[in-house]
Amino acid sequence: MTALPLLATAAMLWAAAAVTALATLAGRPWGSSCRPGLAGRAGLRACCLLSCLGGVAAAWGGGLSLVSGNSRTASAGGSVLAGTLQLQATSLAGVFAALLGVIAVATAAYAPRYHEPSPAAGLYLAAYNLALLASMAVLAAGDVVTFCVAWESMALLCYLLILRRPRRTEVAAGAFWFLALSEIGFVLIVAAFVILAAKAHSMQLAVIASRAHLVGGDWRDAAYLLALTGFGFKAGLVPLHVWLPEAHPVAPADGSAFLSGLVVKLGVYGIALFGFRLLPGLPAWPAIVTMAAGAVTAAIGILYALNERDIKRFLAFSTIENVGIIVTALGASMTFLAYSQRSLWAFLLLAALYHVANHGCYKTLLFLEAGVIEHAAGTRLFDRLGGLTRTLPRTSVITFAGTLGIAALPPFNGFVSEWLIFQGLFQGFRTGSHLVGILIVLAAATLGLTGGLAIYAFVRGYGIPFLGMPRTRQAAQAREDGQPVAGPALLAAACAALAVGAPVVLAALSRAMRTVTGVELRPVLLPGRLTVTPAPPPHTIFSALSPTYLAVFLIAVMAVPGLIYLAGRPRAASVTVPVWDGGIVAFRPRMQYSAMTFSAPTRVTFDALYRPAVSVRRASDDPAGRSGPVHYESEVSPVFTRYLYRPVVRVVERLADVVRPLQSGDVNLYLLYVFAVVLIAYLAGAL
Amino acid sequence: MTAAGFSPQAGEESAEELAAAQLRRQVARQFGRSLHIRTLDTGSCAACEQEIRLLAAPHYDLHRLGLFFTPAPRHADMLLVTGPMIRAFDVAVRKTYEAMPGPKLVVATGACALGGVYQPDAFTHGGAGEMLPVDVWIPGCPPSPLALLQGLLVAVGRLAEKSRTMTFVQNGNPR
Amino acid sequence: MPLWFARGLRRGVVTTRYPAQRDPSAADLPTPPAFCAEKLTREVADQLCQACPCGALSRAGDALTFDAGACTACGRCAQAVPGAVTRSGEFELAATRREHLIKQIPLVGESER
Repeated sequence: MTALPLLATAAMLWAAAAVTALATLAGRPWGSSCRPGLAGRAGLRACCLLSCLGGVAAAWGGGLSLVSGNSRTASAGGSVLAGTLQLQATSLAGVFAALLGVIAVATAAYAPRYHEPSPAAGLYLAAYNLALLASMAVLAAGDVVTFCVAWESMALLCYLLILRRPRRTEVAAGAFWFLALSEIGFVLIVAAFVILAAKAHSMQLAVIASRAHLVGGDWRDAAYLLALTGFGFKAGLVPLHVWLPEAHPVAPADGSAFLSGLVVKLGVYGIALFGFRLLPGLPAWPAIVTMAAGAVTAAIGILYALNERDIKRFLAFSTIENVGIIVTALGASMTFLAYSQRSLWAFLLLAALYHVANHGCYKTLLFLEAGVIEHAAGTRLFDRLGGLTRTLPRTSVITFAGTLGIAALPPFNGFVSEWLIFQGLFQGFRTGSHLVGILIVLAAATLGLTGGLAIYAFVRGYGIPFLGMPRTRQAAQAREDGQPVAGPALLAAACAALAVGAPVVLAALSRAMRTVTGVELRPVLLPGRLTVTPAPPPHTIFSALSPTYLAVFLIAVMAVPGLIYLAGRPRAASVTVPVWDGGIVAFRPRMQYSAMTFSAPTRVTFDALYRPAVSVRRASDDPAGRSGPVHYESEVSPVFTRYLYRPVVRVVERLADVVRPLQSGDVNLYLLYVFAVVLIAYLAGAL
Repeated sequence: MTAAGFSPQAGEESAEELAAAQLRRQVARQFGRSLHIRTLDTGSCAACEQEIRLLAAPHYDLHRLGLFFTPAPRHADMLLVTGPMIRAFDVAVRKTYEAMPGPKLVVATGACALGGVYQPDAFTHGGAGEMLPVDVWIPGCPPSPLALLQGLLVAVGRLAEKSRTMTFVQNGNPR
Repeated sequence: MPLWFARGLRRGVVTTRYPAQRDPSAADLPTPPAFCAEKLTREVADQLCQACPCGALSRAGDALTFDAGACTACGRCAQAVPGAVTRSGEFELAATRREHLIKQIPLVGESER
């Protein structure tokens, strides 16, 4: 089977899943009392099964399109009003389609235990499956109209996803942030596409790609920058990222997982589409702007992640950080092309796509587990959790696998893709220009800072909720029975496969690079069967890594102390004593690190960025210490919403106030408008 | 571990003293060149602590003898106890002693810890011997750093104990 | 830093050589008392026991029990009966058993009988 029919099958299955959800769960009208019962539960499972099958088809199709190259543009349907639907399965979209499939399977396995069968859940699942379908349409779009229609439907359906519980105010606010920024981005995307379509005299993406040389210098740069900003709103580049921390906490767990795992990647796909397929051969400066934007995004993302109290906001900022890493790689890749380093161009694109796949897997895993924690312990705040390794053992193991991946520790998948990106950036000297070389090195240094802070952040992100003692009774009473395990476990297995099977993944991605860039990377990248060398010919080996050998070696090395312990155990008499806690009479959970104290050093070092505001109020000033309760409040100021968005919103509101008198409701005034417009049109036609 | 570092009287070779000599050799082998000490103040007036602190100063310099202070009982070989062992400290003493991995030594120093100054009552046990198995007792109020050094070296078997043969009786001319 | 180094060179090594060599400061240390055997009658012993604030001295029958471990070297016994008590000069008092520090000193009346 070729790729495009598989993707179409996936889309059909998701549509069927949406219909099933609507029919079985949401069949009754709103507001009427309903007991879903057996039909509801069966409907939920049927919907998830269909969704899972669709995911399998999508993953298969995505994988196929990676290795088999771009397919023809197929058209479907045809109506006077909507035009025809043009679809094409491309190699560039292959990674994203495969990721979409894996995420769909994992969330389908997760949903039956997470959602209770109810009409709201039925609507939610219908919207979710349709969002999957819309995302697939974005990835398989063959022309501009299909792309834009699919993009906008995807945005609206995601808005419905976030609004799972619409009666809570923070949910409505978060969903509104998402929709507003999505729409602004959409306007810019449409503008970029319009420029391209006008210059290339065609709406089909394949044709535009082949006529890229027709787009002149200034128009090309303008189109690219519009696309970068427009897709940047969706991807979460700083300062366009503000919707991510607002929307993720309020969406249900699988919704947040989908948003972070895929929707954000669609923004990255859009940037890659413009930078590598539609407008290859950009000059250096837009590429460097992209790289700089990515580096700044990565640093700021992780710095804000370190000061979040809520698990999902923390993961949202971590997503921003990883998107920054991916976009830095894309930008550096385009810079290398501007200096005629074609194999490094292809190599960094490969590394960026690998990181897309990796991040999709482990971020989705972490969001799903955040949902499990929220259901088990009843709270999302770090400072109310603790000791979850004892109460939720399977969850903690799976989350640990995801944490190791996202912290980029060897030999896991995050390490492999970040290593590849770093190796590409370290070869910046091959551009030949000193200034550009220094800029690339600065980007690499920023990513290095980000990597270190990411480890810090995830030690905090895993250690505070899972290790230590439970800080509240809710955390101590968390129970694991009935919580979903299969979905996250599948993603953990995918992470392990991406790590150990790196040679296979790299071989597949090299085939895709041959289609997208025309550069044959495989003999350079994988000289042996299992070792990766990222240097372009005819240079000597720059560095080498074998993820497979590394994994085997590390496991063997870790086994050695274990064997020593087992061998020495019978002979040495050992006593089990409590942990040394300083000899105090009772160690209380409140004496442990809290999330904010653990990250306090960053608030001291980076206080110019955070501008922390601390307020302390005491009931009295009794010097003997009996001053009653002390109220301590510390806040990291939200720089972007306060200094960038609020002023813009205020200007828009003021403009709206100025314009409001036009809509006075007075019929006579409206008739005057009609008359004036007709008069002007007549005069304009006559002259 | 007990009976470390005393020299047997000439001619008396009882089984107990042979065992003690062997134990002393084991202790010297284990700790003779490197010993980590954890100090524990069970309610003292801190004069002993000041003298103990002086041991780390350049004039006495216990590092040249292979002795080190450590705050973590997990890393400690010896517990150096001062103070009359107040009852409020029971939990802490037990936890500290249990947190030390074997083999371990206990040294009590200062007149309070040896049972001299305070009698057992509702607030204090009276001495360190009530709560811990003490290996070496170092008198003094406070013991000078030289006395402390001698006591620590006796505990690790590098010096011989002298107090057993002291009489504190002076015959004839003043010394 | 160079100033500190130069000052150190001029002053020389200040670390004591104890236990390899005797430390001269040991001569000034406060130490437990030594008792003059021929002056220790029962009355003198009772005076000494009353003077001791730490319970280091007690009389059991015909022997004076001196607990060197409980002694704080305060000097009240020497103040009370100057002729019978002098400075012992012993500071290397570590003991592996508590009993090694408790000395029984026979009283004069006993030996004459």
